[in-house]
Amino acid sequence: MNQDSPRLRLSIFGIVVFSLFAALFSRLWYLQVMTNDDFEVVAEANRIREVAVEAPRGRILDRNGTVIVGNRISIQVSVDRSVLRDLEEAERTEVLTQLAGALSRHSINTTVEDLEARIADQRFSPYVPVPVAGRVPEELKIWIDEHAEALPSVSAERVAVREYPYGRLAAHVIGYTGKITKEEHDAKGDAEKPYTLNDEIGKTGIERIYEDDLRGHPGTRQIEVDADGDPVRVVAENAPVPGNDVVLNLDVNVQAVAEQALQEALSRAAERPPSRADLPNVAKVGSTVVLDPNTGAVLAMASAPSFAPSEFVDGISTSEWDYLNDKANFHPLNNWAIQGQYPPGSTFKPFTAVAALQSGLISPATTVNDTGVYEVPSCTGGTCTFRNDGSRAYGPVDLRRSLTVSSDYYYYDLGARFWIEQESFGGPEVFADRLKQWGFHNDTGIDLSSEQDGRIPSPAWLASYCESVECNEDSATWRTGNNVNMAIGQGDVLVTPLQLAVGYAAIGNGGTRYVPHVVKEVRDGVSGEVVSAIEPQASGTVEMDPAWRQAIIEGLIGVTTREGGTARSAFAGFPHETYPVAAKTGTAQAKDEAPTAVFGAFAPAHAPQFAISVLLEESGYGGSVAAPVARRLLDVLSGTVPMPTFNEEGVLTEAPVLVDGGEAID
Amino acid sequence: MATTQSPPAYSTRTRVAPGALGRMSRNPASAWRHIDMVLVGSILSVSALGCLMIFSATRGRDPSDFDTSFLLKQGLFVAGGVVAMLVTTLVDYRRYRDLVPVAYLGVLSLLLLVVSGLGSERKGSQAWFALGPFQLQPSELAKVVVIVALASLIAHFNSELDAARLAGALALVGVPMALIMLQPDLGTTLVFVAVSMGMLLIGGAQIRHIVALTLVGVVGVGLVLNSGMLETYQQCRLTSFLEQHNQDCEERDAAYNLDQAKVAIGSGGVTGAGLFEGTQTRLDIVPEQHTDFIFTAVGEELGFVGAGTLLALLSIIAWRIWRTAQLARDPLGTLICIGVLSMFVFQVFENIGMTMGIMPITGIPLPFMSYGGSSTLTAFICMGLVLNVHMRRFT
Repeated sequence: MNQDSPRLRLSIFGIVVFSLFAALFSRLWYLQVMTNDDFEVVAEANRIREVAVEAPRGRILDRNGTVIVGNRISIQVSVDRSVLRDLEEAERTEVLTQLAGALSRHSINTTVEDLEARIADQRFSPYVPVPVAGRVPEELKIWIDEHAEALPSVSAERVAVREYPYGRLAAHVIGYTGKITKEEHDAKGDAEKPYTLNDEIGKTGIERIYEDDLRGHPGTRQIEVDADGDPVRVVAENAPVPGNDVVLNLDVNVQAVAEQALQEALSRAAERPPSRADLPNVAKVGSTVVLDPNTGAVLAMASAPSFAPSEFVDGISTSEWDYLNDKANFHPLNNWAIQGQYPPGSTFKPFTAVAALQSGLISPATTVNDTGVYEVPSCTGGTCTFRNDGSRAYGPVDLRRSLTVSSDYYYYDLGARFWIEQESFGGPEVFADRLKQWGFHNDTGIDLSSEQDGRIPSPAWLASYCESVECNEDSATWRTGNNVNMAIGQGDVLVTPLQLAVGYAAIGNGGTRYVPHVVKEVRDGVSGEVVSAIEPQASGTVEMDPAWRQAIIEGLIGVTTREGGTARSAFAGFPHETYPVAAKTGTAQAKDEAPTAVFGAFAPAHAPQFAISVLLEESGYGGSVAAPVARRLLDVLSGTVPMPTFNEEGVLTEAPVLVDGGEAID
Repeated sequence: MATTQSPPAYSTRTRVAPGALGRMSRNPASAWRHIDMVLVGSILSVSALGCLMIFSATRGRDPSDFDTSFLLKQGLFVAGGVVAMLVTTLVDYRRYRDLVPVAYLGVLSLLLLVVSGLGSERKGSQAWFALGPFQLQPSELAKVVVIVALASLIAHFNSELDAARLAGALALVGVPMALIMLQPDLGTTLVFVAVSMGMLLIGGAQIRHIVALTLVGVVGVGLVLNSGMLETYQQCRLTSFLEQHNQDCEERDAAYNLDQAKVAIGSGGVTGAGLFEGTQTRLDIVPEQHTDFIFTAVGEELGFVGAGTLLALLSIIAWRIWRTAQLARDPLGTLICIGVLSMFVFQVFENIGMTMGIMPITGIPLPFMSYGGSSTLTAFICMGLVLNVHMRRFT
């Protein structure tokens, strides 16, 4: 310890030691005092996990409070694709074999192929486990939980799912729910009630339109977790709030009668001899709507073929989904009452009549001599000769009789005059514009999804149509014949069954067009208090002189009562004196297929409580095939026949007795 | 000096049984009068805080059944350490010169045995002997022995270190160091590097030698890092503090350790979350928190006030050792103190520095704080040596 001063070295050593401690102090000051806030945030995030607690979805009730859609707890078996993918091929097969065996042992017959197809189904979100079986018994859940080690990726969870006490009843109106898709999730990104990728969402019908009401407000649970993410304790909990109940205008009993009558009518139509041997009555697709003409309330809306919304609970099977989307099965998921667009045929005649009365072409007393065959005056091309059905001649026909016997000749003449005499009342578009007053050519604004607009053709429409589609010179020219066809609801006229019902309701109530509403009110899911009530909403009025309306109603009553009335046999025995029914049949011709049977009605005729439309695709005559559906409905609605009720199994106590309309004329 | 009227000041002590303690007590100039109470007080304070924080980090989450096993064991280690410290002070440190060759050979044999396969493996290192419920870590004992041996050798050379003597001194440290590196125990190896550098500097090594050694050391570390001698995890831990994310590393573990350690300390703020209230601590988010990462528990739960106090106590300990090195009666005493000081400061700086992200992560315990028998015992024995030098500075 000589040389350069050892004291100096010791001092230097001391300074080094001091510096090192100073460095530690500085760093400590920096971390704990200067940047403390950042770390506090991270520490909190380390500690707390927030999980969503699912809230029960609101129920769907009928107008009398009967539960159409409720909730129940289901044990659902799911497979986590991401876990399964990471397994060895052999292990994967083993897991699926075990699972298929276990499911089959509990009477859910499943093969490994079924499971593989299910897991490969792209309709399930890639981020959450795929449900492979629902409604499994408790024992199976216990078995799966006990064998968790041997069954990686498989889990059995209790979930709240939709319950349908009445099975398929009103399936098209209520719609169905399913797992939210990535697109739907993104679209709902800023929703008041947040969604996770595992949530259910309404896909169609009321479930979809009233999603924001039906969906509960998910609760949150803040859980303190340890380093492995295992929960330690619940720090805070925000209770979930159940969704609101949606009360429909529908009456389950009327709805059931409508569905049964519709199905029965289709079956009978299929058995009837077709009007042309080469065009069989397919009779698979049909729909019927019952409205309250004074409010627009939808009392019943049925569409065939139908589906069971319960198939979508626990995830619909691939084969079932394919069935529902196969054209060969007539698209059971479609609600034909609002999605089907058809030529209305003779049911259109009252609207043509009002347009003619408004235009001064006729008065109720104006008489036309119906010779059965109508020649278009100074015809320049296209079809020049139009015939009544079977070229039948009705002789002198006024407005009332034209409706009662359904004289085409009378309306051919009106159609032609709308074209020929257009200069005297305002031009070529007036006919179409007057028809549109009834709501045709636009959606009605009903609270259901996928409603179609229908179509009222006109020269202007044809011109714009031929701009988007290539038309040949012949079809691109609007001629007198186009108007002639339009006057009897043929040609390019298309309406939805709902539009038809709205139109008949408006004739019945004196000219007010109401927006049809399926929903009556929304009630708080807990207290039952009404959150919002849907008030009747007029979307337009049609000017009708009381004398015109009187004549039209008399003509329409004649349809169900008088000699020669096209629905007289369908309404035989009905108490017409106390409950007159104003109605019109229609038999819409289409190229190369059996005619579409159409029926429109309101009753009681002078102060209507119900407006009804019925439409059966490729089924024959309106008077013989469609009218009996309305008859059956009016039987129970008028109290003539007791309203059938459901027994405990959800089955109607009484099957409908449909009168056979016989071989009616149209 | 004594009167007959009143009992002599030390008369009661004459009744103490003969023996080392008795002999010293009888002497009015006894070394015991010069014991450094500041150092002893600081050591005991830090040890008590250590026990408390170990309990906080290990007691678990069940209020009705807290785990006290770590607390009790560490209490036992501290008690044993205090006894070992006292025993170390009993014999004049100059007499250790005669004993050190035997101790040195003993420690070498232990190290050989532990590396050759008799040791138990834990966390990838063969560094322990299992002794019933306890584990003995010979590398910790080796630190004490090497400090005394190197001090004796340099003192013997009379602090005139030419190249040959320097080589001898390096060999003395190098052999046990190599054995420890084989375990492998990188942290302790680095402690040896720090200890020898400090002692050679004070021991009079020439500046050019020191510079040369430093260069060799830097190149050596570079070679070791790139040679594949180290396990990947060691490389990753060593480099993670540089905050360059090395893709080869499964750097998650190392980076996770460091991030969570910094979060724990940083979230403590000025006053801390409160004892037993730290969430990073309570929820086991920081790994190895009762051993190498004990400082994070102090930082989180006691805040800047507590962690700063701990740092202050540790600096007081360092200051007292340095002061003793200055006061020592002979070069041997100075060198022993410098060896202990180098070891202590290196461990404190490396351990606390790594938890705060300014030093690489290596497994080095924080003296008197980290849970562990061998390291606690070693720290106390080293302090015993310093006390020994201090109290005999006049004799």
